[in-house]
Amino acid sequence: MLRSPRKDTARFALTDVVDAVVIGTGAGGAPILARLARAGFRVVALEAGRAWDPPRDFATDERAQSALFWNDERLSAGEAPVHFGRNNSGTGVGGSTLHFTGYVPRPQPDDFRLHSESGVGADWPFVYGELEPYFEEVERVLGVSGPDPYPWGPPRRVPYSLQPLPLNGAAELMQRGCAALGLRTSAAPNAALSGSYYQPDIGWRPACVNRGFCQAGCSVGAKGSMDVTYLPLAVTAGAEIRADSFAVGFDVDPHGRINGVRYIEDGRERFQRCRQVFLCGGAIETPRLLLLSGLANSSGQVGRNFMAHMGLQVWGRFEEDVRPYKGIPGGLISEDMHRPPNSAFAGGYLLQSIGIMPVTYASQVARGRGLWGEALREHMRGYNHAAGINILGECLPYASNYLELSSERDGRGLPKPRIHFTLGDNEDRLCAHGEALMREIWAAAGAHDIWAYPRTAHVIGTCRMGTDPGAAVVDPDGRAFDVPNLYISDNSTFPSALSANPALTIMALALRTADRFLARGARGEN
Amino acid sequence: MSDRGTPTYPAGTMQALLTTDLVTPQTRRVLAQRLKSPPIDCPPVLDPTELATLRAVCARLIPQPDRAEPIDLAAAVHDRLARNEGNGWRYAAMPPDLEAYRLGLLGLDELAHRMGGAAFVDLEAQRQDAVLRAVQRGEVGKSWRALPVALFFEELLAELVECYYSHPLAQDEIGYVGYADAHGWQAVGLDKLASHEPRPLPPVEQG
Repeated sequence: MLRSPRKDTARFALTDVVDAVVIGTGAGGAPILARLARAGFRVVALEAGRAWDPPRDFATDERAQSALFWNDERLSAGEAPVHFGRNNSGTGVGGSTLHFTGYVPRPQPDDFRLHSESGVGADWPFVYGELEPYFEEVERVLGVSGPDPYPWGPPRRVPYSLQPLPLNGAAELMQRGCAALGLRTSAAPNAALSGSYYQPDIGWRPACVNRGFCQAGCSVGAKGSMDVTYLPLAVTAGAEIRADSFAVGFDVDPHGRINGVRYIEDGRERFQRCRQVFLCGGAIETPRLLLLSGLANSSGQVGRNFMAHMGLQVWGRFEEDVRPYKGIPGGLISEDMHRPPNSAFAGGYLLQSIGIMPVTYASQVARGRGLWGEALREHMRGYNHAAGINILGECLPYASNYLELSSERDGRGLPKPRIHFTLGDNEDRLCAHGEALMREIWAAAGAHDIWAYPRTAHVIGTCRMGTDPGAAVVDPDGRAFDVPNLYISDNSTFPSALSANPALTIMALALRTADRFLARGARGEN
Repeated sequence: MSDRGTPTYPAGTMQALLTTDLVTPQTRRVLAQRLKSPPIDCPPVLDPTELATLRAVCARLIPQPDRAEPIDLAAAVHDRLARNEGNGWRYAAMPPDLEAYRLGLLGLDELAHRMGGAAFVDLEAQRQDAVLRAVQRGEVGKSWRALPVALFFEELLAELVECYYSHPLAQDEIGYVGYADAHGWQAVGLDKLASHEPRPLPPVEQG
């Protein structure tokens, strides 16, 4: 039986000067930890959350599984206040990959040069081809189930490792509606195994059982979360993972280099000495820690350009039994709207069918439709006949969407972050386009009672990557301009949001950052 | 749906399934615990008047006339507030949760007096609904002291709904059996059902 990495990985002492401390064990931290350990580096990961044993610990119950979310309070401001918690945050060894959907389409080459293409947004400091080998590597390690050929983007050099997962009810309905409108669809690439799968130093992982609970934790190890992929690789190669260890600051020497990380474990502050730091806390905790420490912010860009994908959903009720709790949630995809013709906005979006658990659905019905009383109970008795589609769309970076430290303290005594988020015209137009199209798709598929739920998904930006030290926090290698031995690896460094779900890119970028760091070392520059 | 109407599912599905090996031990443990009423073992953080108003509000937002013993949503909310637990975020325009509830319940009572001449708990159900509708529609001013009224209503409703549909009996009501997790699902397409997924009851003839 595959086990998640637990507390028995202790290898280093606080008095050791380890080669690197990696803060965070999610999509940004885990691949780096594995890469550096494999290269023979002495590495320690600090993870704020606990180490889980999913086969024993994970109940198929939304409320019980809320322990996987980052539940320290964040303050949501602006005209489109972001819902955090279960929507887009995670904690525990494996980070938010513990409850990511596992939907892993690649971004397309034009996503990386949005500004060149449209005159708005930002370009990435490198092209798609830089990440392509890393996409391939991540897809292989995770074990992605997907179609061959994949209908959109550049031809794949390597097919997906596994056949697509079976389509659930919502996926079949979206297929029907899109076909009626002449839109292409495909089984989506999902980082969940359609058959048992072997990787060296990881071992065999079992096939997905269609439990449908990806967003609240996979209990069988079929989903390619970090705890069953890159973290076992890292531990096998000699890395240490310290769970329940919350990083609170750094000690910096007179030359501006970090010489250790302060963190809280069991209520006591500890200090791990190290030569390098890889900060991988995600687009909220990473800038928060930098602002708390007063580090890496000579550009004034830490916390700026906060982005969230447009994730508007359209729901409908169908004659057929859908049973939204079964099967891989994101079964179907269409990228025909990657760059819609004659659109009045920059960028584009993909379409995704949705599986959903009852408490999440009910909460959205309450917030989105304001139903209560008998009308609410009546609506909810139709849960088994509800199906949804969502867009996953571009969000432009704006200086006026930002994270700051508030004067309110959390349970740890640290300032709560306040995140300001307001949609621009581009986002409004993109959402309107997507909503109109999804309503058409659902009408064509035979839906009644069609309604839209505006929402955002994922947190991106806040420590942007670029080539100008005056306008970016990290360079194209992920290295902080102001602190020579600090790297950032997570969704915070994305210069633009990309019209694809971020986890795959975070992991690919992490491997690239690790390789760039190792190459510097080989040149004697670390 | 239009032909068959909204389905009604048989009661007792979960309690029957919980005793079988179709449910993993950890899921069974969580659900069995929730089937008991949540104990109020924390020192009270809402006073008796506030708690009574909250109970009356729960009875209108999620009425349960079909249950001899309604699922106790007010106790679940109180329990959470007493343990100072949150869900990871809050509208920056809102005060902290406990303060928001206190201000909101007080505001509801004041509005009940204005609209109906009595405390919220003493109004007839229809009058109570009128007060709640006015709050939801923002017809009662933008804020009560430091509390944005419309956001308070949204947060209150979302929390009650989440508490309610987390409860095993409410999950039975909507025909949800995702908790039968031990073996996953082989039948996942449209209209494909495993033998242990509940079927709707036949419609009751009217008149």
